[in-house]
Amino acid sequence: MKKLLALALASLLTASVALAQTTLTVGLFEPLNEHLERVMDQFVAENPGVTLEIRTLGYSDHHDALVTYLATGSGAPDVVAIEIGYIARFVAEGGLRDLSAAPFDADQYEDLFVEYAWSQGRTADGRQIALPTDIGPGVMYYRRDHLATVGTTIEAVTASIDAYIEYGRALKQHGVYLIASAASAADALIRSDIPAGSGIYFDADGRPLLNSERFLAAARVAKTIRDEGLDAQIGSWSNEWYEAFRQGTTATELSGAWLGGHLQTWMAPDTAGLWGASEIPDGRLLSWGGSFYGIPNQTPAAKLDLAWELVKFLTTRPDIQLEAFRTINAFPAMPVTYDDPMFEEGLDFLAGQPARLLFASVAERIPGVLTFPGDMVAQEIWNSALSEVLNEGRDVQAALDEAQALVERRIRR
Amino acid sequence: MARATARHPRLPWSTRLDKFQRRFAPYIFVSPFFLLFAVFGLFPIVFSLYLSLQVWNPVQGLGTMRYVGLENYVWLMDDPWFWRSIQNTLWIAVASGVPQHVIAIPLAFALSRGIRRFRHPLTAAYFLPYITSAVAVALVFLTIFGTQFGILNQALIYLANAPWSAWAFGGMADSLPVNWLGRAPNIKPAISILVIWQYFGFNVVLYAAGLATIPKDYYEAAEIDGASARQSFFHITLPLLRPMIFFAVTLTIIGNLQLFDQPFILTDGTGGTSQAGMTVVMYLYRTGFNWLEMGTAAAIAWLLVLLIGILTLIHFRFFGRSGLETRD
Amino acid sequence: MRAAVIADTRSVSDQGAASWLGRGLLYLLLLALALLTLFPFYWMFVLATHFQSDIYSAPPPMWFGQALERNYAALLARLPFLRNIWNSFYIAGMATLTTMFFASLAGFAFAMYEFRFKRLLFGIVVGSLMVPPALGIIPYYLIIQWLGWLDTPRAIWFPAMASAFGIFLMRQYIASSMPRDLMDAGRIDGASEFRIYWSIALPIIRPGLATLGLVTFIGQWNNFLIPLVVLSSRPSFTVPVALRTMQGLIQTDWGAVLVGTALAVLPLLLIFTVASRQVIEGLVAGSIKG
Repeated sequence: MKKLLALALASLLTASVALAQTTLTVGLFEPLNEHLERVMDQFVAENPGVTLEIRTLGYSDHHDALVTYLATGSGAPDVVAIEIGYIARFVAEGGLRDLSAAPFDADQYEDLFVEYAWSQGRTADGRQIALPTDIGPGVMYYRRDHLATVGTTIEAVTASIDAYIEYGRALKQHGVYLIASAASAADALIRSDIPAGSGIYFDADGRPLLNSERFLAAARVAKTIRDEGLDAQIGSWSNEWYEAFRQGTTATELSGAWLGGHLQTWMAPDTAGLWGASEIPDGRLLSWGGSFYGIPNQTPAAKLDLAWELVKFLTTRPDIQLEAFRTINAFPAMPVTYDDPMFEEGLDFLAGQPARLLFASVAERIPGVLTFPGDMVAQEIWNSALSEVLNEGRDVQAALDEAQALVERRIRR
Repeated sequence: MARATARHPRLPWSTRLDKFQRRFAPYIFVSPFFLLFAVFGLFPIVFSLYLSLQVWNPVQGLGTMRYVGLENYVWLMDDPWFWRSIQNTLWIAVASGVPQHVIAIPLAFALSRGIRRFRHPLTAAYFLPYITSAVAVALVFLTIFGTQFGILNQALIYLANAPWSAWAFGGMADSLPVNWLGRAPNIKPAISILVIWQYFGFNVVLYAAGLATIPKDYYEAAEIDGASARQSFFHITLPLLRPMIFFAVTLTIIGNLQLFDQPFILTDGTGGTSQAGMTVVMYLYRTGFNWLEMGTAAAIAWLLVLLIGILTLIHFRFFGRSGLETRD
Repeated sequence: MRAAVIADTRSVSDQGAASWLGRGLLYLLLLALALLTLFPFYWMFVLATHFQSDIYSAPPPMWFGQALERNYAALLARLPFLRNIWNSFYIAGMATLTTMFFASLAGFAFAMYEFRFKRLLFGIVVGSLMVPPALGIIPYYLIIQWLGWLDTPRAIWFPAMASAFGIFLMRQYIASSMPRDLMDAGRIDGASEFRIYWSIALPIIRPGLATLGLVTFIGQWNNFLIPLVVLSSRPSFTVPVALRTMQGLIQTDWGAVLVGTALAVLPLLLIFTVASRQVIEGLVAGSIKG
């Protein structure tokens, strides 16, 4: 009798455990899946009864498939990663859940993150559609040897935009380019000095800014750099770009802090020790890159708690954030992590400079910029106008006026 | 005596079955296609037609469509990027379509009648590009077209300077190295080169199969009559190959006007400077998936169908009679 | 010029030195063209044997490198690749066999019969080729979901059976290679319509059929948009989707991707060899029949 009871009890327990087993699907792209695969067990240990199923797709495929799933109302993973380049796609209402609303109440965590990263996941009408997990504070990587050849200091070079261009002219005398592409300089300039409440391409009222002073100035600076032959006219992420780093034919590069890790591991490992990192000229504060986690609208109510637990696990836990930093070079979005000793380490690649402190300092000061649904259109139209100015010699005012008209046309729909 | 024979005598079952299958055979044979088409083909077509009359951000889910009538179409008429994409598409379609066939027909002829050995390996070589996946092609061709170190430019520089070829190619030395992918005027030729590379072998195989339908004795008879090789090519081969040519050209018209993979690869999805490399389908894709204007994207698709339809109709009108004729 | 140098089919001893030269020149031209065509392909294999940093160098390497083993190991560590190849093979194979059957059947009907609505139906067939498939992905997904076929191979090869391209090709091919009197001959012999198709038409159109099979197989193999949204678990992925999962935000392990691509090409080459033999043999058979 006792045995029977014990057996019944055991099978009941097993059944209930089996019933309580929930599978959470997570949609990711490289390299985020590498990180989750490592910390998965810890999450499962802390949340018994959950199984994580990771669905990894190519970086652009992931975002395209997500659009299809949201459009058809089914098939989306329960938790999704979204990269900054695509986040504007998902700001419209109905795609991702508003995490500041119940039952998530994410706003209580706002102070855990650097200000700008938080606002990047926030829509203009106040919905928090994603939480930041890693960020890309904008910095300048520069070659110390070229600096020495010209005989100037990094402080002098970054004092102002004009000083930066002067540096380019001096470099030209020595047969070295200032930067791979003048377009990067223009991009840095439009993404910084943005008034509060605005986006990059739209003002607080949603009006496009394509031919505003900030854009005109940015385009003119790039045009100057191009016309004087100070840039190598090499597009990012091309073989020639990597080669330029290896050969040292360019003296500076403006990008997110993450570039350093890539230079070191695979792009130009032999140039270790020749680089340094500094703020962007003129003290401009901006970001390049960043990943977020969100929960699609279609995630069933029964799984919401677990999904939210996973999002919090990946974004609000300092230990997990630091782990990501260590393994996939994902710069944490939480200032509290910056107190970790690893930030004070001198980086050999940068000749011993404890650059992480610089990155952290930049990250904490970048002002918030809102995301608008028209950002993707505006960005492509801006890029097109800029390349016409640089590659085809088009007049800046004309190109930007046309860009403004194009954006206005499109968002009127 | 009553006439026992009715007007329609009851035939034995097997004969009735026989008549049935003779009469309805064609319908039965084509029905699988149309059944499947009704499910998998018709619905998407009707859906996209319906969609072209709406404004819809796909991220918001199916229920959020908003009816706007023909507004999308009207808007596109004024859209400079739309017209630019049509222009680009037509340019690339012709520049890459014509060489595909002009190269393939003589090549297929040479392979089937001109040489005896190596038919297999040579045909295989020409066909390989068709098999290669877009991803691999992208990587390889982006490097081929590179400005400073790209193979193509290296080869052209060599040809312009080497003693044995400089007399022919030296003239272009000043414009080398060509910035194939960065400058607007160069993007379309670059894309066309890629398209030709990928598809001419496909046409060679099509034409080789078509050449198989021409009996050898026709050529022998022509030889006996004293015809030269050129004459038998133009008077026997080409006319008898007409159905195949018609088919292959129709495919090229329809296919080249829908080019997406190749321009997407070479411009990294951006369409290139001044949108010089943006084809209609690329613009469609960006409008729908990047800019989330699905209604407009559907309208673009249907305007493209209109264009393709008109061109195909012209093609059928001029060449359809001979292209669709049967053997006898 | 090429047509002019195509030598006649008389025996070698009848030909003079001039046509030897002509033939040699022809071979040379064909070979040069083949090398030009093959080069990017060859290079793909070369790059598959190199380390990341070498692949990204300028100028890139032209000859084979040392990293093949490493790249292959990286590929298998990331993906159940052999399973993916099998998936692709199965799906493409099913699609090809069914398409060859149904398309030739329908093409036969369009070529050999006159029937009501023939022109309209054929117009629909050709017309359906003109609609760009880009937007079809959303309604397609809806149908598959409704049928309950998500994450199954059937979702990919079953709809592929309705191949307008296949019908068009078959119709053209049959129309140009099979005389109508063969139909009557068959009927007199007492064969059913289907029998005529199966026993008379099919053997005649072997080269066309092989071509269709080849093109269908390749198209299905390289198709990635539909498998991307319809398949959701890694073991069920086809090769293109699987390889694309390695395309990361910043970095892609191109060495591993290219090894995968090269491996994936081998079945295609196999199919091509089989199919082209059919095509070439058809060339010979076709020229024998009068």
